[in-house]
Amino acid sequence: MKKLCIIAALMIVALSISAADKVKLKFVVWDLNQTTYIQPVIDAYKAAHPNVDFELINIPANDYDQKIAVMLAGGDDSDIISVKDIPSYAGMVAKNQLEPLNAYVTKSKVDLAQYSGVIDQIVVDKKLYALPFRSDVWIMYYNKDAFDKMKVGYPTNDMTWEQYAALARKVSNGEGVDRIYGSHYHIWRSTWQLPAVQDGKNSIISTDYSFMKPYYEMVIAMQKDKTIMDYASLKVGNIHYSGVFYNGQIAMLPMGSWFIGTLIAKTKDGTNTQKNWGIVKYPHPAGVPAGTTAGTITSLAINAKSANKAAAWDFVKYFSGPEGATILAKLGTLPAIRNQAVLDAIKKVEGFPQDKNSGEALATKTVRLELPNHPKAADIDKILSQEHELIVTGSESIDQGLANMSKRVKETLAAQ
Amino acid sequence: MTASASKALKSNAIAYSFILPNLVIFAVFTLVPIAFAFALSFMKWDGANPMVFVGLGNFSRMLHDENFRISLLNTLYFVVGTVPTTLVFSLLLAVLLNREFVGRSFFRAAFFFPFVASLVAVSVVFNMMFFPSMGPVNNILRAIGVSNPPAWSASVQWAMPTVMMAYVWRSVGYYMIIYLAALQGVPHELYEAARIDGATPGQCFRKITVPLLTPATFLVTILLTIASFKIFDLVLVMTGGGPGRATNVLVYTIYDSAFLSFEYGYASAQAMVLFLIVLAITILQFRGEKKWVAYL
Repeated sequence: MKKLCIIAALMIVALSISAADKVKLKFVVWDLNQTTYIQPVIDAYKAAHPNVDFELINIPANDYDQKIAVMLAGGDDSDIISVKDIPSYAGMVAKNQLEPLNAYVTKSKVDLAQYSGVIDQIVVDKKLYALPFRSDVWIMYYNKDAFDKMKVGYPTNDMTWEQYAALARKVSNGEGVDRIYGSHYHIWRSTWQLPAVQDGKNSIISTDYSFMKPYYEMVIAMQKDKTIMDYASLKVGNIHYSGVFYNGQIAMLPMGSWFIGTLIAKTKDGTNTQKNWGIVKYPHPAGVPAGTTAGTITSLAINAKSANKAAAWDFVKYFSGPEGATILAKLGTLPAIRNQAVLDAIKKVEGFPQDKNSGEALATKTVRLELPNHPKAADIDKILSQEHELIVTGSESIDQGLANMSKRVKETLAAQ
Repeated sequence: MTASASKALKSNAIAYSFILPNLVIFAVFTLVPIAFAFALSFMKWDGANPMVFVGLGNFSRMLHDENFRISLLNTLYFVVGTVPTTLVFSLLLAVLLNREFVGRSFFRAAFFFPFVASLVAVSVVFNMMFFPSMGPVNNILRAIGVSNPPAWSASVQWAMPTVMMAYVWRSVGYYMIIYLAALQGVPHELYEAARIDGATPGQCFRKITVPLLTPATFLVTILLTIASFKIFDLVLVMTGGGPGRATNVLVYTIYDSAFLSFEYGYASAQAMVLFLIVLAITILQFRGEKKWVAYL
């Protein structure tokens, strides 16, 4: 009897020790089946840390910001939160929903300089609330077959916006459902507005948006002569930029580098029928050096209500650090740590276009954040999107729309 | 306690015990949140930081808020556009489907079906039908000679009418059922007497059917008004409040203030204003009841 009790007690102790070692981390992500790099990083981490298990909470990208806001407001205790964009980051910071990482960074001796200055743009009141693991830049994708068909030269790594518009017109052909459009502007306001802030003279958060006029004129002209699909059709039909590229309906696509990984994966499994694609640098205004572009960062944050902060930090450090960067690069995704080694690794990825221009397209000179961190970022983004929609559907003239934008943003910045 | 009094108490207790489950659920999930929202409308709260009492600050902010003004006008436009239309169509349909003919049950079911169909499916199909460049509606318009057909849900002038059309199409079946039920209460002898006296079908409709259906019309008007003030889900899926703010309705603005801007106090204040508007209109309708509703 006594022997039995001792054995039972030892077993309980042994079980509770191993149970205490096991950690389950809840990780909130979006569009898991499109984001091809998450599972490989998790698998690599689990191989090195067998006592950590992951529960992935997947949310559709379109609903992500709202869903995460409601979850956190309801006291959700998920450990690691993916930070999709600056407005939702600003919102979560304002509501004290994220754990400050300064102490963890110092203790783990993370070198913040390896993130190319992005860290400064997300520090709020000297506190850092997220670590970027991915940093995407805007580039241009193009369909080589479409250019060959019209016997037009491919886009280059140094094009002005005027040259790009002329090229798009030259390569457009066909009628109705068989039409191949020279370029494509996805419904986000950023596709139309980012060229306006490329020269660094103006910011997306401004009180006078008249500087955007020439860029709106350029794209509205392209919409009018059917060089691009019209906004109304894209919005009403919920058409995604990937579908029209996979079907060979567009010759060029200004879009973020996040699409590279998806394109490679979809070409491999046959969804993308246009195997002959390439990338070049984002076109630039005249007088601005090639390689100047806009960018976004995707980060990981730790929930202030998490019960496993130390374990969560270890994973965040791994994902955003050199180990995660290597895995991301091997899958064709641009990590936040972007040195020459990473760039070379991306070029070697199977499925990455092997022509010379594509190899140099990812080397950037200056990257400006699409939407700077600002407490009113979400409201301003909404105003810009609403007026943008009125301009591009022809409901307002460009001057009227930009004037309204300026007026409303000025009021929002002055309020409260 | 006397025997009859304790018997009354016992039957009361039994009655209350039947009502209690529903009452508890209603109180917890409807009454308490409404009371909470009423209290919130005098506060400023973002869901995480502590609540701050602001008195009537939210209401005075609403008076100067352009977004609120635009959404109020849009909602009124929607109400004025859909209530009479749905009422007339559902009455006509009910009268048509009241006569005996082969396949009548099928048509009754067919007209009711949109009301139970998935709202998202209805919105997506409507958007596809009214697709600006290649949709069937615009193709037909172009074929009959309209050179520049409207861009429907992508155009500022036509977005609201498109949503209204979807709403009317969807709701007609439900109110048709109410009218069909009421029509069964109209005595046949009145029609026969009228026909003997030489009345045309039109006169029968105007002088017999419509006056005797005024109770049903009153009910339908109240239900329709309340429902159309609360329009939200159809707008969210079809146009997302756009283009610009053309289909921003009151409930959409409330949703936006609460869940996109995290201003729960302001959103509650806007919800209170909506509640008061609908309450005022309903009271007015009840006041007018004695004047035009004829009960048999």
